[in-house]
Amino acid sequence: MSTLIAIRLRNAVVLLVLATMLCFALVVSAPGNVAVLIAELRTPKASFEQIRLVEEELGLNQPLVLRYASWLNGALHGNLGVSYKTGDAIGPALASRLPITLTLVVGGAAFAMLLSFALGFLGALWPGRLGDAVSRVIALLGASMPSFFVGALLIYGLAVELGLFPTFGTAGLSSWVLPWMTIGLLPAAVLSRVVRVGLEEAMARPFALTASAKGLSRRAILFRHALPNIAPTYINALGAQGGAMVVGAVVVEPLFALKGVADLFLQGVLFRDFMVVQACLLVFLTSFILLNLMVDIGMMFTDPKLRRQGANA
Amino acid sequence: MRRLRDLFQALAQLPRLAFLAVGLFVLLGVLAPWLAPYDPNAQDLLATHADPSWQHWLGTDHLGRDTLSRLIVSARTSLVGMSLVLLIALSVGITIGTVAGYRRGWVEEVLMRIVDVGLAMPSLIVALAVIGIFGTGYWNMILALALAWWPGSARISRAVAVGVMNRPHIESLRVLGASPGRIYFHHLLPSTIGAVLVYATADAGAVALSIATLSFLGLGIQPPTPEWGQMLVDALPYLESAPWQVILPGLVLTLVVIGFNLLGESIALNRVPTPLPRRILLKRRAMAADWRKAAP
Repeated sequence: MSTLIAIRLRNAVVLLVLATMLCFALVVSAPGNVAVLIAELRTPKASFEQIRLVEEELGLNQPLVLRYASWLNGALHGNLGVSYKTGDAIGPALASRLPITLTLVVGGAAFAMLLSFALGFLGALWPGRLGDAVSRVIALLGASMPSFFVGALLIYGLAVELGLFPTFGTAGLSSWVLPWMTIGLLPAAVLSRVVRVGLEEAMARPFALTASAKGLSRRAILFRHALPNIAPTYINALGAQGGAMVVGAVVVEPLFALKGVADLFLQGVLFRDFMVVQACLLVFLTSFILLNLMVDIGMMFTDPKLRRQGANA
Repeated sequence: MRRLRDLFQALAQLPRLAFLAVGLFVLLGVLAPWLAPYDPNAQDLLATHADPSWQHWLGTDHLGRDTLSRLIVSARTSLVGMSLVLLIALSVGITIGTVAGYRRGWVEEVLMRIVDVGLAMPSLIVALAVIGIFGTGYWNMILALALAWWPGSARISRAVAVGVMNRPHIESLRVLGASPGRIYFHHLLPSTIGAVLVYATADAGAVALSIATLSFLGLGIQPPTPEWGQMLVDALPYLESAPWQVILPGLVLTLVVIGFNLLGESIALNRVPTPLPRRILLKRRAMAADWRKAAP
């Protein structure tokens, strides 16, 4: 098993290096001359000499490999450059915004897991009944509704009409409920199908028949024997939904006026602030890769078949 | 209770609904200029936020523009954008996928690793980053989304192409001395394209959703071209006084995406919905039963 983990670690490192190269290449391939842009910002109608000075200052006249190395070195030390628009250092800005995005994504994931198990079991406990149909329809709606529409509906229904929650802000738990629901609905929809289908498949296997011959009730088989079987699939799907949730954060943060990393990313995209886009992309890609690594290792712990493969390898 | 259950079950397993939604969407998109009762950008500042009436069936928005017309013309925006994205992404994906499937070995290794990296990243994040570097604009949006979507079609194309290459007729062609070009262009490519196009329906909904999301964020379709996501964000400040102007575009978009998702789901389950009448289906079933009996 340790060899398998080592392989996964190696793959993750390779992917990380590729991701940093991608982030770097994206900014290098940007149209227009960055040095000219910055020189123009400092002094309108910058002379050729002034542009050269900026080039020298930012190291833009050096070979690409050296520029990549110095950029990577800076990134590793938390120095992600300076925003073209505001002139602020990006590293501290990211650090101060990260807790908001983490709260949003982790809370949303918790909501998604709760809802997905509820919906999945609703279908699995009474297959073919009203609950099953309701769970399918909710899953279909959740997977098809754009998150900005979900958010707008929740704001209108629960905040404007019923006045249950505030429409924006980060004060207290109640202000987080709507963002969590908005960001969690899509993953919940996808995961509920994973639970439902996974349980059905497990119930069709011989061990379920044996358990039922021993006299266990359907409910007991579902919870005690079928449930552990869906763990690897579920963890895998949960990891895949992590990516979807970052996309969700890009929509949810501006909708609820949350000042998180996704909001910073969006501002960078809107104002073509390359350094901000690059830094946020690096943060996103790194977190995806780490998440996938965690999912792979988590699957190994929950799936005995993978563990045995590792022993033979 | 029972009627409620029946209703939900009917809703849950209706591929016909999918056909209806997708068909209506395509029809609206193609015929939009002739169907829209008003110019979608004609403002009437004396009749803003009008309630539904015989003149404006679905009311008007904050600038007095006819909502129904804007919804219909948005279908065209969405349909054209979606088709362009899929066309570009599928062309690139199918080319890469079939080349990898045809030339196994290191070519396949390299191409598929690139595809893996592309697949590892959520498509909308990639599209957003590309727009952030190259700027907003219609073609930048189309290209950014295509760039995000080609790896998926490349992976499917490769899987299909490998399957085609393993079929006996390709081997026979080789034995008969057919040139690689002939095998690739006359046999491999046509059979791959057909299969991959079917899978593309499942992606179409996600592409439509992405276009709407980008437009919602102000990075996709730019005004004055009407688009559902943009209509929704325009109406959002007036959510309390005119909620329907927010709900309608979202609802229409959701219906379209549900249509594509249901269609894609039934395709994934290999239950390609056939618009055959029940009578013919029953006849076919009877025929198949006869074959089973006739077999030893």
